[in-house]
Amino acid sequence: MNALIVIFITGLLSLFIAFAKKPLLVLITACAGLVTAAILLAQQWGLETPQSLFKYKGLLFDHNAIGYSLVAILFAFLAILAGYKSFKENEEHIGDYVALLLFSLVGAMCMVSYTDLFMFFLGLEILSIPIYVMAGTKKKDVRSSEASIKYFLTGAFATGVLLFGIAWLYGAVGSFDINVIGMKINLEASHSSLLYVGLLLILAAFLFKVGAAPFHFWSPDVYSGSPSIVTGYMAAVVKIGAFGAFIKLFTVCFPSLHEFWAPALAGLAILTMFVGNLSALSQITFKRLLAYSSITHVGYALLTILSTDGGSQFNLLFYLFAYGFSIISLITISMLLNDEEDKIEAFKGLGKRHPFLGFVAILALLSLAGVPPLVGFFGKYLVFAGAISEFPTLVVIAIINSGIGIYYYLKTIMTVVSKDDVSEAKIEVTGIQYFVLVVCALGLLLGGLFASHV
Amino acid sequence: MELLLIPFVFALLALVVPSNMMRSFSLVGGLISLLATIAHVLNFDTSSFVSIFDPQVVNSIGLTCKLGYDGMSLFMVLLTSLITFLILLANYNRELSANKSFTSLLFFMQFGLIGVFTAFDGVLFYIFWELTLIPVFLIALWFGAPDRKKVLIKFFIYTFVGSLAMLLSIISIKAYAPSFSHADLMAVELTSKAAYWIFGGFFIAFAIKIPLFPFHTWQPKTYTVSPMAGTMLLSALMLKMALYGMIRWMIVLAPEALPEMTYPIIVLAVIGVVYAALIAIKQNDIKTLFAFASISHVGLIAAGAILWSHDNWSAVFIQMANHSLVAVGLFLAADIIEQRLGNRSLSHLGGIAKVAPKFAFMFGGIVLASISVPLSSGFIGEFMLLKGLFSYNALIGIIAGSTLVFGAAYTLRAYQLSMYGPATKHHFADLSWNEWLTFLILLIIIVVFGIYPQAIIDFVSPSIDQLLGSIK
Repeated sequence: MNALIVIFITGLLSLFIAFAKKPLLVLITACAGLVTAAILLAQQWGLETPQSLFKYKGLLFDHNAIGYSLVAILFAFLAILAGYKSFKENEEHIGDYVALLLFSLVGAMCMVSYTDLFMFFLGLEILSIPIYVMAGTKKKDVRSSEASIKYFLTGAFATGVLLFGIAWLYGAVGSFDINVIGMKINLEASHSSLLYVGLLLILAAFLFKVGAAPFHFWSPDVYSGSPSIVTGYMAAVVKIGAFGAFIKLFTVCFPSLHEFWAPALAGLAILTMFVGNLSALSQITFKRLLAYSSITHVGYALLTILSTDGGSQFNLLFYLFAYGFSIISLITISMLLNDEEDKIEAFKGLGKRHPFLGFVAILALLSLAGVPPLVGFFGKYLVFAGAISEFPTLVVIAIINSGIGIYYYLKTIMTVVSKDDVSEAKIEVTGIQYFVLVVCALGLLLGGLFASHV
Repeated sequence: MELLLIPFVFALLALVVPSNMMRSFSLVGGLISLLATIAHVLNFDTSSFVSIFDPQVVNSIGLTCKLGYDGMSLFMVLLTSLITFLILLANYNRELSANKSFTSLLFFMQFGLIGVFTAFDGVLFYIFWELTLIPVFLIALWFGAPDRKKVLIKFFIYTFVGSLAMLLSIISIKAYAPSFSHADLMAVELTSKAAYWIFGGFFIAFAIKIPLFPFHTWQPKTYTVSPMAGTMLLSALMLKMALYGMIRWMIVLAPEALPEMTYPIIVLAVIGVVYAALIAIKQNDIKTLFAFASISHVGLIAAGAILWSHDNWSAVFIQMANHSLVAVGLFLAADIIEQRLGNRSLSHLGGIAKVAPKFAFMFGGIVLASISVPLSSGFIGEFMLLKGLFSYNALIGIIAGSTLVFGAAYTLRAYQLSMYGPATKHHFADLSWNEWLTFLILLIIIVVFGIYPQAIIDFVSPSIDQLLGSIK
């Protein structure tokens, strides 16, 4: 809880520190705030009873919430560091950028720790609104503005649907507290149709937020139009918030309705995997490729929500943890390549131009494909192993999709290691970017060690 | 532990060694790990199991990280270290051997292979299995023939998809077991339906890697476009992982599926034996010819592996060793021809024996070993395998036996067309010392095991008996 306040205040501070025209100072403040918040959270891990603020029970940092928050903070930290160079190009706005990202992180943390649907809704808004703004920060770029408006309109619509769903839910059970809702649904033998409608509306809103088919149409455009660092932030941090809230709501409130929503979600998970994969096969721009591949990964991640296995919250967190390292490192590298058109071709010969960047890019791609011993393999493994006893067919389909996915990852890897007509332009990597990439590489290589419950 | 660490350390060192010392460095590295392996072999009691890494804890996902070896594993480790050393030796006078990424990848490959053979934990086996794909893929991609890209994408996707099927099997069988350790997985009793799926998943992975008909379509082209070292790694070592995997994992984990699965697999294997041999007879490119020959030979080994009995499995190990040695020899010969003359097509070759007698002699020795003449290690192995098949089903035995005839036909044809007849070029540099030494080592080992195959049988027998005894 204190961590939340620390991050919020850091956000405010960085707005004001920016007046000093010392970008580095803003960065240091932000990093210091994030590290403090992480330490505060980690200290709460050992507490007997989860901590809430004063007497307010709407936010509760239990072990899952702390885990999700820590991972979100980690990736926000890496994203801010990775984006520093591009923030600096617009020096007068650096405070705004950093603050917006931090505020959005506050929203993500609310979304993983809520126990009250009010707080959940507020968290969602706090998470989304800064990102709507951030998506449009390349003001002179038409595609960036398009991304911003598209994300805002569809996002606002989804929020409306969600609110509508919450209202129906309230109508059915008369409470906003998720534990009370879960208990009431569990006790009643027959449910009013209000509940089912509410559930479906909430499900649709969630699927929109995580970018699952058929609610995914915004994501390729928004991913490719937004400034790279915002894309990375959306893929890594926003997903953690959305998925954290999603799995919490469905495991706490609706487990007794599993038979009702599981078939629908299973169908959509299959659809999501195939839509993402098949669309990714022929992409030529890098961020669109990432967007479609992220849709596929959402499809895999949905398996954890389906499974009633006790470890599924952890499995989902680990999956997102694994995914984040790949995304952040690939986005950092693509920013370094600084290609206007964002072609995959820009990666050509990266292994030769800059062996370290090539190495990290290959690691990240292989990890996305799920090649052991990289962290992505363990993520996939946990997700599949958790679902295999209940949904064997779904796991088989997911495995088939991993097989399809290897094609476009491999094609990109081939581009990276290719040795013919390599561009000679030098790539300059700053110390901060090195740091981000080294952290990501270590995460990719050694992250698998964390693949067991603590 | 040093079995795994030595190649790994050399793989890292190779990245920093200056390139003018690279050749000697790689040779020394290969020799050190070979000697370390031999030291293990000499101190090994064939009926024991030696654990090289066992943290004694099972983490929450069931990973035990058990590494160790029994007779079969150690035999494969020895083969790996020997072949790796020979590959380094054969490459010594090639440009490639001075390249640091090549040397590093080769040692990395050795590390992965030894891991595969010593893993006694399902997930660890899978991890090492996949690890070996990356170095061989990169070796082929960076140093292969110009038209390699499409071929290699096909190769990667094929093997990766196969591995995913195996992963599915490992995950599924774990659902019934407390941990991934080999012993725990083996103790699982499966319903026959579950056993089919689990067996099937393993089978797809292994059938693609071996490769068995009809999963072989990636193989000939991949062998052809890979540089010599890549082809040697693929044929001499990588496919042995699959044969070893059949014995160590597929059959013993899901023996419930065997009664139904044995026949179809043998049929596929024997189709492969005959079909690949027939194609090999018509080949013009000598490297492609040897690639098809390899499909034909390993089909027979796979058929022997699936017929689980003490004799068959002993023969499988003899034949695996023989195939590795012969494959290294044949692909080295093909590469020598290509390097000296700039082409590999049989229709343009001829008369090499006159100008390069040493090469002709050595190549001839390998060719004879390849067609399993008596006194070569192939003879006893092939004989035992055919005997096993024959007692399983006489007709299948006879059809598979045709490999002896076809094998002689395509191998001798390749030899005759390239080495005899009118010389097309009068200049052909004879063997350099390292090529000569490689051939010599190969031939000595082939002949020693041809005369005394009992050495291999004695070495692997106790562990085979133990494994067979533990099958329910």
